[in-house]
Amino acid sequence: MIEILQQIINGMAIGGVYVLIALGLTTVFGILGIAHFAHGSVSMFGGYLTFFLMTSQGLPLAVAILVALATGFVLGLLIELLAYRPVRSASHINAFIVALGLTMMVEGLNLEFFGHEQVVIPTDFNRVFDIGGVTIPELRLYVILAAALLIATMTIFVEKTKTGQAIRAVAENRDAAILMGVNVNTIPLVVFAISTMLGVCAGIMVGALFAIAPGIGEGLVIKGFAVLILGGLGSIPGAVIGGLVLGITEALAAGFLSSAYKDVIAFVVMITVLLVRPQGLMGKA
Amino acid sequence: MTLKPTHALWLAALVSFALLPQFIAVKYYLHLSILALIWVIAAQGQNLIQGYTGYVSIVQAGFIGIGAYSTALMGLHYDLPVWLTILLAPVVTAVFALGIGYPSLRVKGHYFAIVTLAFNLVIFIVLMNWHTLTQGEAGITGIPKPGSPDGWFNWRDRETYYYFVLIVAALMTGLAALITRSRIGQVLIAIRQNEDLVGAIGISAWKYKLFAFVTSAMFAGLAGAIYAHYQSFINPEIFGVAQSLDAILAVIIGGSGTIAGPVIGAFFVVFLPEYLRFADSFRLIIYGLVLVLATIFMPRGIVGVATSFSDWFMRRRR
Repeated sequence: MIEILQQIINGMAIGGVYVLIALGLTTVFGILGIAHFAHGSVSMFGGYLTFFLMTSQGLPLAVAILVALATGFVLGLLIELLAYRPVRSASHINAFIVALGLTMMVEGLNLEFFGHEQVVIPTDFNRVFDIGGVTIPELRLYVILAAALLIATMTIFVEKTKTGQAIRAVAENRDAAILMGVNVNTIPLVVFAISTMLGVCAGIMVGALFAIAPGIGEGLVIKGFAVLILGGLGSIPGAVIGGLVLGITEALAAGFLSSAYKDVIAFVVMITVLLVRPQGLMGKA
Repeated sequence: MTLKPTHALWLAALVSFALLPQFIAVKYYLHLSILALIWVIAAQGQNLIQGYTGYVSIVQAGFIGIGAYSTALMGLHYDLPVWLTILLAPVVTAVFALGIGYPSLRVKGHYFAIVTLAFNLVIFIVLMNWHTLTQGEAGITGIPKPGSPDGWFNWRDRETYYYFVLIVAALMTGLAALITRSRIGQVLIAIRQNEDLVGAIGISAWKYKLFAFVTSAMFAGLAGAIYAHYQSFINPEIFGVAQSLDAILAVIIGGSGTIAGPVIGAFFVVFLPEYLRFADSFRLIIYGLVLVLATIFMPRGIVGVATSFSDWFMRRRR
């Protein structure tokens, strides 16, 4: 029993990262119908940048994170303006190809700026807590808490603020939103800026928990899409539940079945959910 | 049948492909041409499901892998002749494609793309980890070449293999053209344009979609088998998601939903990265940029641009 609880706690940390990735993907998808495949590589860029600012520039972790977030904000605006806006009225496959091209460019830039070496963001959260036999490393606890805080902020932003209302309006009915005076040119910018910043947070967490290396971003974005399918495309509660389900399934599979096949098991869960509930766990039928 | 300008173009293309080895001085380019022709087969398959039916599948490289491993394993374990295993490989691939297509095709659009992508990952992970069967990352070596050493043709010679692949690629391109012009092909195009309408007039769309998916996988399986016997060595590396994306790019860059598109696109995805070698570490960035710009400025692919240009030219002449 303790063992199962332990794996669930482990799964919650990685699940939290999946949720943050999926939140970025699901808002972009919900508003613009774009499968933003470059999201994982952009997130890794954020992680790399944080590492670089800390090691080469000697900035403390908190400052590095803030600079990385600001960079992510600008990067998100640029991605929307330069890459996706020109294909906005074309078919979705075109936006997807743009996303693939963008992924290659960002991966290439990551290699060019930060090299091939795998990097780990240094933190001094080395304590380990023990709660009734279940051990929680301090870093994992902070990752889970930070993810929960970001999810809550994001939910409040989308549900309670004027901008959030406009975002939901565009997602629901674009034409009606235009008639109601929503500026449909600024909404995509806001969405990309926010989702890129969430991605940067996820990239930093991956960098601190595990490591950042070329190719990690692509694996991460695929998991992000798996979460979307599990939870339902465009649904924020779906992304939260889907991310936790995927993270915990993976941890349990790795702990009790086989760590080589943990991803296979996670995908089998996704495909099974899709067959039983094609609209996802939280999606509307 | 009268000779239309497009038929003349196809004939000219075939003749130039047949003469190509005589003009290639550097053997490496012959090697790349063989790879490109193998890609033509896989891309024609991808075009059936993506270009004609409108379902973007991201598992083509996984199917290429299944074809390659099945021909290699059948040959090495059961000692079957090479020509037989090459013919059986697409059948094995079709069995897998049935199992993958049946659940995947229950969903549409982005869902379909992501589910097939997940299947590609599963295939890749299994190839990597099932050591007793696939020997994992180390891969399978010593896959025999077709033909006996003292036969009519020397299959170890690159030029001979080039002509073999050229014939297969031409036949498969012809087969793709036949399928798309048949009633089945018309239904596939109708599904792309309006699937609900297809259902409404009493055609069960899912049978046609499954046909397109399985046929597209068989093209990939054949391409994989030919690849395996060409290289004599396979490992999971080249059967990953990145290569499935290359198949999608070949179709898009060439011209989606046209027969010439995948041919041009296949050469594009094999040769462009090679030409970008001079750029070294910037290669990936330039390749990505070319893709983004191509999609923004020529969404109908190279064939689309060529068609509009020739239409414009014809109008000018009149």
